[in-house]
Amino acid sequence: MDLLLFGTLTLIAGMALCFVLPGNRLRIAANLVSQVIGGWCILSKAIPVLFGAPSVNGVMHWSYPVNQIDLQLNSIGAFFLCFSIPMTFLGSIYAVGYLSKDIDSERHVGTHFALLSLVQLSYVIIYTVQNAFAFLVGWEFAALGAWLLVIWQHRDQKIRFAGFNYLVSTHVGLFFLVAAIVVMHGATASFQFDDYERFLKQPSVARNIAFVLLMTSFGLKSAFFPFHTWLPRAHSAAPAHVSALMSGVIHKAGLFGMIKFILMVGHPEAWMGWYLIVVSGASAFMGVLYTITQRDIKRLLGYSSTENVGLVGIGFGLGCLGLSYDSPTLVALGFGGGLLHVLNHALFKCLLFYGAGSVYKFTHTIDLERLGGMHRLMRWTAPLFLLGAIASASLPPLNGFVGEFLFYTGLLQSPPALGSGRVGLLLVVALLALVGGLSLLSTVRLYGMIFLGTTRNPHSIHEDSRENAWMIIPMVLHLCGIVAIGMVPILGIRLIEAPTSMMLAVSSAPTESVTAFMPIALLNSLAMFSALFVGVLLFLLAFRFWFLPRCNRTHVTWGCGYTAPNPRMQYTGASFSGPMVGVFKDMLKFVSQEDLPEGVFPADGKYKTHCIDSVEHKIFEILDDGEKGATNIMDRLPESSGFSFAMGLIGLLLLVSLIALN
Amino acid sequence: MKYALLTAFHIAVLLIAPIYVVGVINRVKAYWAGRRGPRLNQSFFDMLRLMKKTPVYSEVTSWIFPVSSTIVLATAVTASLITPIVPGFAPFGFPGDFVAFAYILGLGKLFMMLGALDTGSPFEGMGASREATYSALAEPVLLLGLGTLAWASGATSFQDLVIPDVSLGMNIGLRIGIALALYVVLLIEAARIPADDPTTHLELTMVHEVMILDHSGPELGIVQQASALKMTVLMGVIAAVLNPFSVSASVVGACLAAAASIILIGLLAASVGLVESLIARFRFQALPLLTLAGFVVVMFVLIIFNVGQGHIQ
Repeated sequence: MDLLLFGTLTLIAGMALCFVLPGNRLRIAANLVSQVIGGWCILSKAIPVLFGAPSVNGVMHWSYPVNQIDLQLNSIGAFFLCFSIPMTFLGSIYAVGYLSKDIDSERHVGTHFALLSLVQLSYVIIYTVQNAFAFLVGWEFAALGAWLLVIWQHRDQKIRFAGFNYLVSTHVGLFFLVAAIVVMHGATASFQFDDYERFLKQPSVARNIAFVLLMTSFGLKSAFFPFHTWLPRAHSAAPAHVSALMSGVIHKAGLFGMIKFILMVGHPEAWMGWYLIVVSGASAFMGVLYTITQRDIKRLLGYSSTENVGLVGIGFGLGCLGLSYDSPTLVALGFGGGLLHVLNHALFKCLLFYGAGSVYKFTHTIDLERLGGMHRLMRWTAPLFLLGAIASASLPPLNGFVGEFLFYTGLLQSPPALGSGRVGLLLVVALLALVGGLSLLSTVRLYGMIFLGTTRNPHSIHEDSRENAWMIIPMVLHLCGIVAIGMVPILGIRLIEAPTSMMLAVSSAPTESVTAFMPIALLNSLAMFSALFVGVLLFLLAFRFWFLPRCNRTHVTWGCGYTAPNPRMQYTGASFSGPMVGVFKDMLKFVSQEDLPEGVFPADGKYKTHCIDSVEHKIFEILDDGEKGATNIMDRLPESSGFSFAMGLIGLLLLVSLIALN
Repeated sequence: MKYALLTAFHIAVLLIAPIYVVGVINRVKAYWAGRRGPRLNQSFFDMLRLMKKTPVYSEVTSWIFPVSSTIVLATAVTASLITPIVPGFAPFGFPGDFVAFAYILGLGKLFMMLGALDTGSPFEGMGASREATYSALAEPVLLLGLGTLAWASGATSFQDLVIPDVSLGMNIGLRIGIALALYVVLLIEAARIPADDPTTHLELTMVHEVMILDHSGPELGIVQQASALKMTVLMGVIAAVLNPFSVSASVVGACLAAAASIILIGLLAASVGLVESLIARFRFQALPLLTLAGFVVVMFVLIIFNVGQGHIQ
C-alpha cells in the first residue's frame, strides 16, 4: 500500500513540476521521469496481484461525507492498471514527437503532460477504490482530464465544439452512474462497495434498475451504440495520442465498471446476459457499419472502437449467461475472451491512432480521399499500420484473432440448459462473422486509401515533419505486444488468468483454474496454427524470390488501353464502400450536396456526399422538435397577467402539497 | 501409419485436384457450348509457363504487390491443411479450427485486395470493393452453416463436425441443407457464375479477374493456383459434408470414403461448370439476395433441427 501511495504522490509531484519548471523540455523530462518512477511503484504492487498474489487491501481515513475509503487492488483492477499505466506512458512519449512544433514554440506544453499524469492518477483511483464517492471522483478526474486533452488545439471552433460535446455526453453518463449509486445508497445507506455487493446479490426490482443504470453509464463511457455519438467527434478533434489513449485506455474504465459490477452481482439473471449481448451485438454491427462510410481516418477509428467494445461486451454477456446457467466454460471463455480483447484492442487501436497521427503530421490531412501512396513515403509507419490494421480486422496470426477465437469457441459451446437460447447464440456467431467481413472491407479501404496507389494530393506533404523516433518507438512496442499475443496466445491467457478466475470463483465451478476450461492444448494448437501459417509463408516467399524469375521491368498500370492515368482516377474510399453501403442503405444516413454540370457548355460541377451519424442526427432532431414544441405552447398561452398569476398559484400549491406530503 | 497414409492422400489430392477441378469445369462448359475444350490438365501447363516468365510490375506498386500474391497462396495452403476432404480426417485439427479456416481465408482476401489497390488502378479498386462486399456477406452463411454442423455433431473440430450425430432422416436433411448453403459460399468465394464470370472480357463486369489485371508471370500463376486451391478446398468441405462414409471405420471404409470424396469433388466441379453453362451472371445488386438465400437455408435447417431435437416446443 505504501508503494501505491508513493507512486501516486510521485505522479502528483510530476504534475506540479510541469508548472514549476522553466522551459518545455525540462518540464517534459521531469514529467516523464515522474511517470516512470510513479508507474513503476504502482506496477510493482499490481503485477504480483495480476499473476495471482492475494489482493492488496488498505483503508484511507477521510473527513465528511465519507469517513473512510476502502482500497482494494484485486486482480481485475491490477489487469486494467497493468496495461493502462505503461500505455499512457508510451502515449506521453509519442506526444513528445507529435507535439515537437509546440514544444519548440512559446506554448506551455507542461499543461498537456500534467493532464496526462492526471489521467494516470485517475486510473489508480478508479481501479482501486471500494467507495462510490471516491469512484465518482476518479471518474470525474478521467473525464475532465480527457476533455482538456481533447481541446489542446482549442483555437479551432470545431475542436471546442467536439470537446463540449464530449463533456456533456460524459456527464450524461455520470448522471446514470449517480442515479445507480443513489438507488444502491438508498437500499444500503452506505457508500462502500462491500455493502453494495450484499445488496446486488439479492434479486430485487431495485437491483434490476441499478443494473440497467450502471450498464447504461458504463456503456456511455465506453461508447456502446447508441451512446457513441460523442466518440467520433472527440477522436477526430483530439491530438493523435489523446485519441489513442481515450479509445484504447481511458474509456476501458467503462468495461472495468461492467465487469466489476457483474462480479458484485455474482449470479446475474439470464436477462442481464442477454441484455448485454443484444446491446453489444448492436454496437459491434453499427460500429463496423459506420467505419466503412467514414472519410476521416480518426472518426473511422473511433467507430471501430464502438465495434470493439461491442465485441468485448458480447464476451461479458456470454460470461453472464455462464454465471446464470452454471456453465464455467462459458464464464472462462466469455470473461477471459472479453478481457483479452480489452488488452488486444488497446494494443492495436493505440498503434493505429499513432499511425494516423504520423500521417497527419506528415500531410496535414486525415481525409482518406486526399491521401494515398504513403507507403513509399513513410517507411516505418506504413508497415506498422498495416500490421495494426490486420490485427484490428481480427485476422490470424495477430492478437485480434485470439480474442475473437475465444468468443466463437464460447458461443459454440453453449450449455444445453439454454434451450432455444442456443439458437440465439448461433445467430451471434453469424453476426460476428458479418462484423468480421465488414471490418475486413473497412481495413482494406483504410489501408489502401492512405498508403497504396499514388498520392492524390502531392502538395500537402510536409517534408519537415516526418515521422520521428519518439513516434516510432511506441508504435514498435505496441506491435511487439500484438505479435506476441497473436503468435503465442498462452502469453495473453497468462495475463487474464487471475482476473478470470475471480469470475470463476463466484460461479459454481469446481476449480478456479482458467486453464481447466480453456485448455492449454487448444491455445498451443492455435500457436501451432499461426506457426504453420508463418512457416508456409516463409517457405513460399523463399521459393518465389529465389527460384522464380524476378521483376526487372515496370510499366504503367493497366487502364484498359489508356496509358496516361492520373492519381485522381484511382478508386476512392466512397466508391470502395459503395456496394456495401448499397446493401445497408436503410440504416445509414447520407447528406449530399450536388451542383451537377448542365447544358451544352457546362461550368464546373461538384458533388459532395457525407455520411452522418443517424443517432446524433436523431438527437438533434428531437432537441429541435422539443424546442419548437415548447415555443408553440408558449405562443398559444394568452399573455394576460391574470393567467400568469393563476399558473403561479397552481405551481405554488403543488410545491406546498408535495412538501406537506413528505 | 494410418495418419501418414491419410496425410499423403490429403496432400496428393490438394496437389492434383486443383488442376483437374479447373479442367473439368472448363471441359463441361466446352461440351455444353458444342466445343471439345482444352485438355483436363491444361491449367498445369499454363502455370508452368507462367512460372518461367519474367513479371512486369506496375510503376506505382510497392513491396506489398509482389508479396501479396504469395501470402494469398500461403493462406490457401494453410487453410487446406485444416479442412477435411475425407470426413473424419484433416492433417491438422484442433477445436474451433473451422473459425481459423474462415479467418485465414479472410487474411488471403485482405492481401488479394491490397495487392489490387497497390496498383492504383480504378478497375482493380472496383474489383476489390466488390470482392470485399460479397465475401463479407457470404461469411455469416459459412460460419452459421459450420456452426450448425458443429452443434449437430457435438464435435468442435472441422474434421469431425462433418459427421452429424443424429437420426437418419435428420442426418440427410441436415447434410443436404448445409451443403446447399456451402455451395452458395463456394460460388461466391471461388468467383464463379452467378457471382462472377471468370471468362468475361469486360473489366467493368469482373470481380476476381479484375483484381489481377496487373499480375503477370509468377505472380499471376501463384494467384491462379491459390484460387484453384481455395475452390478445391471448399469443394472438399462440401464433399466431406455429403460423404456418407467416414474415415473412422475400417480400412475398406476409409478407402470407400476417400473414393466417394474424390467422386463428389468431380461431380461438384461438373455442377459448377453446368451452372456456368445454364445461367447468366446475376446483377450485382441481386448478389446479396443469393447470400440471403443461403442464410435462409441454414436458418431453416437450424430450426428444423431444433424442433426435431426438442429444443423448441
